[in-house]
Amino acid sequence: MFRKVLVLTGAGALALAATGCSSSKSGSSSAGKTESGPVTLSYGIWDAKQKPAMQQMADAFHAAHPDITIDIQVTPNADYWTKLQTAAASGTAPDVFWMNGPRVGLYAGQKQLLSLSDKPGFDNTPFPKALNDVYTLDGKQYAMPKDFDTVGLWYNKKLFDAAGVKYPDATWTWQNVIDAAQKLNDPGKGVWGIASPDWTQENLFNTMLQAGGSAISADKKKSGFDDPKSLAGLQYALDFVTKYKVSPTAQQMTDTQPDQLFASGKVAMFTDGDYDLPEYKGAAGLDADVAPLPAGPDGKKATVINGLGNVIYAKTKHPEAAWEWVKYLGSKEANEIQAKTGTVIPAYNGLSAEWVASAPQYHLQVFIDQLNDAVPYPVSKNTAAWSKPMQDTLDQIWGGKLDLQTGAKQIADQMNAALAKE
Amino acid sequence: MPAIESRPVAAEAAATGSASGRTGGPAGAPRRPLAPRPRFSRAHLREWAWGYAMIAPLFVGLVLFYLWPIVQSAYFSFTEWGAFGGQEWVGFKNYSAFMSDPQLPRAAWNTVKYALIILAGIPISIVFAALLNQVHGKYATLYRILYFLPVVSMPAAVAMVWRWLYNGDYGLINYLLSLVGIHGPHWVSDGRYTVYALGVVGIWSSLGYNMIIFAAGLKNIPRQYYEASSLDGAGRVRQFFSVTLPLLSPSIFFVSVLSVIGGLQMFDLVLMMLGKTNPALADSKTIAYLFYEDAFITNNQGLAAAIAVVLTLVLLALTALQFRLQKRWVHYG
Amino acid sequence: MGDAGSGSTLIRQRLWPVHVILAVGAAAMVTPFLWQLITSLQSTSESTSVPPHFLPSWKWGNYSQVFHDTPFADQFWNSVVQTVVRVLAQVLFCSMAAYAFARLKFPGRNALFLLMLAVLMVPSQVYLLPQYQLVQNLGLLNTLSGVVLPGLFSAFGTFMLRQFFLSLPNEVEEAARLDGAGTFRIFWSVMLPLAKPGLISMGVLTVLWSWNDLLWPLVVVNNDTKMPLTVGLATLQGEHLTEYPLLMAGSLLASLPMILLFLAAQRRITEGIALTGTK
Repeated sequence: MFRKVLVLTGAGALALAATGCSSSKSGSSSAGKTESGPVTLSYGIWDAKQKPAMQQMADAFHAAHPDITIDIQVTPNADYWTKLQTAAASGTAPDVFWMNGPRVGLYAGQKQLLSLSDKPGFDNTPFPKALNDVYTLDGKQYAMPKDFDTVGLWYNKKLFDAAGVKYPDATWTWQNVIDAAQKLNDPGKGVWGIASPDWTQENLFNTMLQAGGSAISADKKKSGFDDPKSLAGLQYALDFVTKYKVSPTAQQMTDTQPDQLFASGKVAMFTDGDYDLPEYKGAAGLDADVAPLPAGPDGKKATVINGLGNVIYAKTKHPEAAWEWVKYLGSKEANEIQAKTGTVIPAYNGLSAEWVASAPQYHLQVFIDQLNDAVPYPVSKNTAAWSKPMQDTLDQIWGGKLDLQTGAKQIADQMNAALAKE
Repeated sequence: MPAIESRPVAAEAAATGSASGRTGGPAGAPRRPLAPRPRFSRAHLREWAWGYAMIAPLFVGLVLFYLWPIVQSAYFSFTEWGAFGGQEWVGFKNYSAFMSDPQLPRAAWNTVKYALIILAGIPISIVFAALLNQVHGKYATLYRILYFLPVVSMPAAVAMVWRWLYNGDYGLINYLLSLVGIHGPHWVSDGRYTVYALGVVGIWSSLGYNMIIFAAGLKNIPRQYYEASSLDGAGRVRQFFSVTLPLLSPSIFFVSVLSVIGGLQMFDLVLMMLGKTNPALADSKTIAYLFYEDAFITNNQGLAAAIAVVLTLVLLALTALQFRLQKRWVHYG
Repeated sequence: MGDAGSGSTLIRQRLWPVHVILAVGAAAMVTPFLWQLITSLQSTSESTSVPPHFLPSWKWGNYSQVFHDTPFADQFWNSVVQTVVRVLAQVLFCSMAAYAFARLKFPGRNALFLLMLAVLMVPSQVYLLPQYQLVQNLGLLNTLSGVVLPGLFSAFGTFMLRQFFLSLPNEVEEAARLDGAGTFRIFWSVMLPLAKPGLISMGVLTVLWSWNDLLWPLVVVNNDTKMPLTVGLATLQGEHLTEYPLLMAGSLLASLPMILLFLAAQRRITEGIALTGTK
């Protein structure tokens, strides 16, 4: 009789083991102990849309290195950083994973990443200097640049034609945008001239730079939010909502995101990164194009440049294999695969033409041309410490609960306090 | 969220209910063996062994995943965690940090408001349950199915649908309001309305569950009571208050304990209907949301554990209070 | 308003207002689902038109896009495995323990039972962090086993089944004992078949709860092919924040299995729930 119970509980354990077997393969760096035998590297990324391209590279790499297999793990963007940090805390982060500018300081500073500069055969000359700089800390580079993005002024040609407004071009300044937005705005039809949300990379960091200010000082010691010039940049973006009333409100842009408003033809202009190209390309009935960002009042042109890099986890059990993979990811061959799939601009110099050609109906070249005016995305050693309070305060300003002067001062104070701790 | 989510609580209410309220019911009787047996007979010892053997698989799991974690959480609440590992004993620092958190008053008030809104759904459920009991046959089945659909739907999916219905510019609700000349607000992105908007979803998704329980409770009321009160000349309204409500009170008590506990733990609707980047989030956070934020977004696990402990104490106190008060108004037939 | 004299003609004449109120209520319950269906078949620009389109353009492509943009099939499978394994384990573990608590006498039984009830008294937030750590230490983060594990054991299910066993008559059991059947045999061949209604109610509730479980898998799984549908939906919303036609298609697909199950086993489910409320 007793045996029967044992059998039954055993069955339960078996069921458990069965589900375990089917899923434990993917377990991160714990698989495989010796460096010589076959190795499986986990590769953490956050964009499911890029998975096919990454898989193509992984397959090509595996063909050249038959004893190294790459296991791609997609963690959705919204949870990527929180989950990565928890995993790193317990020593179970992927062997190789995506890193961006705002986070590299924290991870490198806390010794979670291997320095690539120390690796044999490391070469960062094929990449733009602005990108290499983003990933360099105390003279050592921690990430192999993967791609970059800049911001452009997307516009809806149909709405421009209907309102009889000339398309934006490289000569446009803020005033042109304001004038056009007012002409294009048509509440009766539910059409807004422009969408101006409190998004930083797509909107505010750029307008602050165009006004001659900046989000953070060049030595990364001081906030730029209390600089009157930065304030002018913020004011310009806010005016579309509050003064000219040609942009949806913060509430409206929460209920329906500005990129969706643009994609469904409700908004005539929207400054947005190249990474939303697939969304606009796929939107039915949208006839859009893209122009360079307008110049500020003094004729200053600027866009932030951001991007991703591939990094090696400091506690990986296979540092050599991981380096082989990262080296491959930085090769011309891998970058060509990226260029052909047309999702992002490859970081490798001179390969952007293929990306531009992937959607000839748009003037994608503007994203490349703007590299000359590009300023690195504002980061410090611990960007996350000030970026969340910054966004919360911006939300309050855009939500109408805080006036711009007080809010910007508040951001500057919080930021300076955080920067002083670094 | 729907009662299914707060399922363990159902048992809690029922458990303590049977322990305190209905002693001597069916629960008491079979505990004594029919024939007296000598102490420490072999049969006796074998029964012991079987008893332990049969609860063992469950208890291994309960100890590992539930009982020991309670102890651990209590311990965590006195520690601070480093960004990449390491714990440090900090005494009551997390508790004082929680108590002085500027977000706390707002979150506590939101939590209470939400629980009150869910409680307000109880009379509605009773009325619909009473109406449902008047109908028979295929209509009854049809109504039961329709009212119950929200209960079986995935809460994550329900939240998405309502977020869309509530959309300020393109949502169905504001369109219907505009037909009668009302300009509807941005229900889920304007902090003044979010708690009510979420509360309505809470009522909508638990109505079917509550109705089933009340309908069963109503069916259990013996018809003689109504006949007796009719003979006394009571009208239908008076009958409702003098017969139906008192005899339904055990069900009402059960549902209200459930609702309060479910309401106080309100979390997934906030996460799914508002999202992490909503400007109204600051005005809509609940205590359970603060816990989630500290535990899994800002990696303040010690503080999160302190919040969990405080939440537990509040829930226990409230449940105890409800049981104390029940003696005044709950009639066990 | 009670169920008094439901057969009398007086009541029957008055039944139409009851139907009107119930129908209005039912419309309020169902409209969100209809709107979900309509939107799921629209293009983004249709869905944002004012006044709204009530007839969609039948864009079934939204559904295939859900499968294309997310590993929906994987996630569906994960939800199925998660639910089936949990239900089987719970039915087995809980019924054994419930029987022991209801019918066997052993030292410490009441203390252990109270200990189990303590689990029900504490909100889930208390378990979350330590459970996470435990699963992490077992190396099961980001695996289906890690998602399934804590849900194999249920104090609630045990409690519910114990109540059910207590309500069963004693005579059958005594008769079997006199026939010389051993404890486990009595449990397995006599009591379990008798407890079938209770087991089914509990099983159905576990299916519902497991299929819809969000917070635990949200915390444990990173990889999109390892997630159950609930987390997949949360992710879909994170990626396509307000692309409503796609979100509606995905959410409808995710809810559908439980709705179908409910339609098939409507009586069992409602009876099971009534059972939790009256026992």
